[in-house]
Amino acid sequence: MIFFCVLMVLVFVAQIAEFFIPPLDWMSNAHVYITPVLVFYGAMALPLPLMLVLVFWAGFLLDALTAQVIGGRVEISFGSSILLYAVLAGIMHGLRPLFARGRWEVHCIMSGVCTSALLLGQYLMLSFRRGSIFFSREVWWQIGGPGLLAMIMAPLVFWALHWLARATAYPYLPRRGLI
Amino acid sequence: MSRTSIVALVLFVAGLGYLLSLGVGGTRKLQSSVYQYIAPFLSSGAGLQKQITSVRSNLKSLDDLQAENSSLRLENRSLKATNQALLGVEHEVNRLRHALNYRERAVFKLVPAEVITRDSSTWWRTVTVNRGKQDGIDSDMPVVTDEGLVGKTTTVSANITIVLLVSDENCRVAANVEGTREQGIVTGERVTGGVTPLLNLNFLSKQANLQPGQKAYTSGVGGVFPPGLLLGTVKEFRVRELDGQAQLTPAVDLTKLEDVFVVVGRK
Repeated sequence: MIFFCVLMVLVFVAQIAEFFIPPLDWMSNAHVYITPVLVFYGAMALPLPLMLVLVFWAGFLLDALTAQVIGGRVEISFGSSILLYAVLAGIMHGLRPLFARGRWEVHCIMSGVCTSALLLGQYLMLSFRRGSIFFSREVWWQIGGPGLLAMIMAPLVFWALHWLARATAYPYLPRRGLI
Repeated sequence: MSRTSIVALVLFVAGLGYLLSLGVGGTRKLQSSVYQYIAPFLSSGAGLQKQITSVRSNLKSLDDLQAENSSLRLENRSLKATNQALLGVEHEVNRLRHALNYRERAVFKLVPAEVITRDSSTWWRTVTVNRGKQDGIDSDMPVVTDEGLVGKTTTVSANITIVLLVSDENCRVAANVEGTREQGIVTGERVTGGVTPLLNLNFLSKQANLQPGQKAYTSGVGGVFPPGLLLGTVKEFRVRELDGQAQLTPAVDLTKLEDVFVVVGRK
């Protein structure tokens, strides 16, 4: 339970920290997303009820801090990020047995894929709302760039959270050694 | 599936359903409450970021400082001279205004604000400023700097406001171009790859033939933005199938915004 609370706090801190990380101009202004990497770790490490709480919290924060109400309409409905997170975290939760065997690379690859999928989902919803869709080089970078960055960050996050889980005596840990 | 999991799933779906069914008012209210609670974190983060940036930018070599000092001395002398000349002009203007019983020109009532976060998400161009309802700010108020238009306010909480930048695709501003009768709508781009975002001035006539360097101002149509605010300068003009479109370089450097003014009314 302590580890779960720590994850909840970390998700909040990461969401705030993302405000202060500037987009990377050498990557077509791709943003750095830390929160999905934490959430997807939680999806693999936590049991279903706690995973759902974590997903709800992360999606709620994302929508509350980024969703836009413009010209008397909501661009992406409040709650849609929760839905996206839930679907992606559900897939990650299904890979829990691999995680339990200490396969860190599953979290690493899936964090990248799911971060990009999250952004792609948002882009599709937004394009549908605005009535036009296009996929330029910049759009692909905005979707794929954060995924690549998440993949790079994932082993570090995995290692840090694994250490935290051990420090808080969280029972669900990979059986094999880390990385 | 265990009983706990089923209960959690039901509660999750109920909560999600409630949030998805929120309308515009509900979403705004919820967002502004969340922003109110996280305002201290954002302000502290912005302060910390400023300190780190200032430490980094203050580390200059002695040669740099000497060069900067002599350049500033020169600029100071030039400004003093200009100021002296302007004092005379000011005196003359005041005297003439008084003589003509001239009415004071209507000026905007501005609330100064500091940008605390910028571009928090991939798909919207926004900044957050440290002023809110307590300072008389409401949604859909223009935000400017001394250089020109920045955008408009969207979600407002007690002491924090989200500003939608003019470079966002959703921020539409009616504009006209200096020296012409051309009118159009300025919008941003959905995704920008470059460092400086560009604006598009759409719905111009095909014969507009705008030249690079011509300035575009707000026309005041629509009611949100007052007329006469500088939007940007024409970079290029192209003729499309049905209309003409000009690409503008924004008057304000939106990537380096620090201090802005919210137009809360007229004096």
